[in-house]
Amino acid sequence: MSLLWLRVAVLLYGVAALAVLPAALYERPTWNRIAIPAAVAGMLFHFVSLAEMLNAAHHRLPVDTHETQALLGLLLAAAFLIVYWRYKTVSLGVFVLPISFLLGLVPAFRPGQESTPFPQFHTGWIFLHIALLLAAYAALLLSLLASMLYLIQERSLKSKHAAPGAQWLPPLETTDQIALRSLLFGLPCMTAGLLIGSLIAQQTIGPSYFLDPKVLLSFAMWLAYVGMIYIRRHSGLRGRRAIYLSGFVFLVVLAVWSANQFSVVHRFTTP
Amino acid sequence: MSRHHHLVLIGINHTTAPIEVRERLAIPAGRLADATRTLVHQPGIREGLILSTCNRVELLTLQEDGSAPGANLLQFLHEYFAITPATITPHIYEYREREAVRHLFRVASSLDSMVVGEPQILGQVKESYTVAREVGAVSGSLDTLIQRAFTVAKKVRSETQIGSSSVSIASVAVDLARKIFGTLQGKTVLLVGAGKMSELAARHLIQQGASNILVANRTLERAERIATQFNGQVIPFDELYDQAARADIVITSTGAPQKLFGRSHGQHFLQSRRNRPMFFIDIAVPRDVDPRMNEVEGCFVYDIDDLQQVAAANLADRGREADAAETIVTREVDKYQERLQALDASPAIRSLQEHAEALRQAELRRSAARLSGLTADQQAAVEALTRALTNKFLHAPMTALREAAREGDVRALAELESLYTNNSRNKPDSSGRQ
Repeated sequence: MSLLWLRVAVLLYGVAALAVLPAALYERPTWNRIAIPAAVAGMLFHFVSLAEMLNAAHHRLPVDTHETQALLGLLLAAAFLIVYWRYKTVSLGVFVLPISFLLGLVPAFRPGQESTPFPQFHTGWIFLHIALLLAAYAALLLSLLASMLYLIQERSLKSKHAAPGAQWLPPLETTDQIALRSLLFGLPCMTAGLLIGSLIAQQTIGPSYFLDPKVLLSFAMWLAYVGMIYIRRHSGLRGRRAIYLSGFVFLVVLAVWSANQFSVVHRFTTP
Repeated sequence: MSRHHHLVLIGINHTTAPIEVRERLAIPAGRLADATRTLVHQPGIREGLILSTCNRVELLTLQEDGSAPGANLLQFLHEYFAITPATITPHIYEYREREAVRHLFRVASSLDSMVVGEPQILGQVKESYTVAREVGAVSGSLDTLIQRAFTVAKKVRSETQIGSSSVSIASVAVDLARKIFGTLQGKTVLLVGAGKMSELAARHLIQQGASNILVANRTLERAERIATQFNGQVIPFDELYDQAARADIVITSTGAPQKLFGRSHGQHFLQSRRNRPMFFIDIAVPRDVDPRMNEVEGCFVYDIDDLQQVAAANLADRGREADAAETIVTREVDKYQERLQALDASPAIRSLQEHAEALRQAELRRSAARLSGLTADQQAAVEALTRALTNKFLHAPMTALREAAREGDVRALAELESLYTNNSRNKPDSSGRQ
């Protein structure tokens, strides 16, 4: 049943992703009446799917790659709706909703069969570890997208075209706030997620876990994340340089994500 | 309007009359109620509304059949404003029925305004309507029409972008500031130099929430006067470069022959502001701000030509949107007329139905004795049969009445009405005889 709800959710994300295009790019706010309810409904169905999956958690946890992707999609959709509720802008949806749709597409229609190799991992703590880290990734992605929107709007305003300032984009200060606040939200999530993961690893595998390249990269990612917030906060970094910085940290995150393939102890499939 | 009332609108506006004529007919808000009351007391006028703005004076009236529409309105203008018909007649336009509806919809939608898409006109029509309602000058058909005009205007606003862009220099500056800062609440504006345009821009920014005003001028007295006007603070001119970084928006309009702010100033300001953006509105000619400052990340420089270019582009956009708005208005006029004409057939249809029902009841009463032997079921069947027959007989004339009304065929409508409803005046007696 959870798969059915996930499919409905993905379909609704698709509808929202399409409806947000005329709303944002063609300044047709009436399309918001489709985009926002579709995104909300998609998120609710997605949540129901997740809840049903957790209900059966004594069998499986959302730890395979596809399910984790779907969860990231849910968090991104939630982030989009929070930004809409707070700043009344749907511009980020142009990027975020298609990502949510694509992230949910594979798990919904080709669910993975992998499961974690260690039965003792089947606890709520693992889920919390994953959820918190995914929230941090979602926040970083949102921040990166907001920084890109900032750059587009800045370029448009500087170009002094006949109609300067991309109409579909929020004001510069708004995108800057979205970018910074997303990072500030992501930091505690990442910190808590890594701490929980470390404690579980300490109990189940022992100190050798901390020599794993994936784990080392994860802590490097945390340092980069903290460094990025520090620089943005204290130098007021915006625009092009902010994108470079966010882009660098995002690359580190991608490296951490893909390190699952090389890690001996931290992977979704049985080694 | 209906076959017994006529919708008539006369007026003058900025395209038909010079200001000298318009000002003689302008009605101040305080006298609008009195003028409206006087208008509806004119012979033949059933309902009326006066719209008086700086660009137009219009009288919208619903007149009785047989009155002299147009002439009585001219008479009203002549008497109320003590102005000779010869003075105003060449400037007057007159619309009737469908064209009057169309004109009202266009006016309310700001398609007939001097600056197409300006939002004030709808508020002015609403004010006139409120006054007319208060004095009892609109109540029936005119009320419905004006309400419809408001709906159409709202539709035009929501379905087109006619009012979304700014067309004045000051409002373009405000729009740009909002694209940079979002809300202008709590933003600091620095006025460098003094000029009408810069003061106007500052006033617009303050209206949008900018609250801290700094003024720098070579003449201290002038700076103090402007600062007092905006409840702001004076900055000595020699401290300009130290203090300018405090401002989010800088409006320059000095007569200095050299540029006041160069690229390096921009870099310095941004550094001390931790890269928070700054918006320079350079209204001065020759310019006060080096255009190369726009290359500094976080600095946005717009000179008078840039602003004018944006305003002109927005105006052209409005023209394009106006075409879409005209289509909406035409469609709405058609819908309104259709509804009006269909409604107009209702009394005749109702009368026809009542007459047929009276005949049916009379016939049933006449046969009551002969039907008394029937069982309850059989009587119900007779009742249903007579009702069905009556409805079938009525179907064709009712359809013809509706059709004639929809097509606005007044003559056919009148003939059908007299053909089928004349007998209704001769009500059948209890025995069924007419």
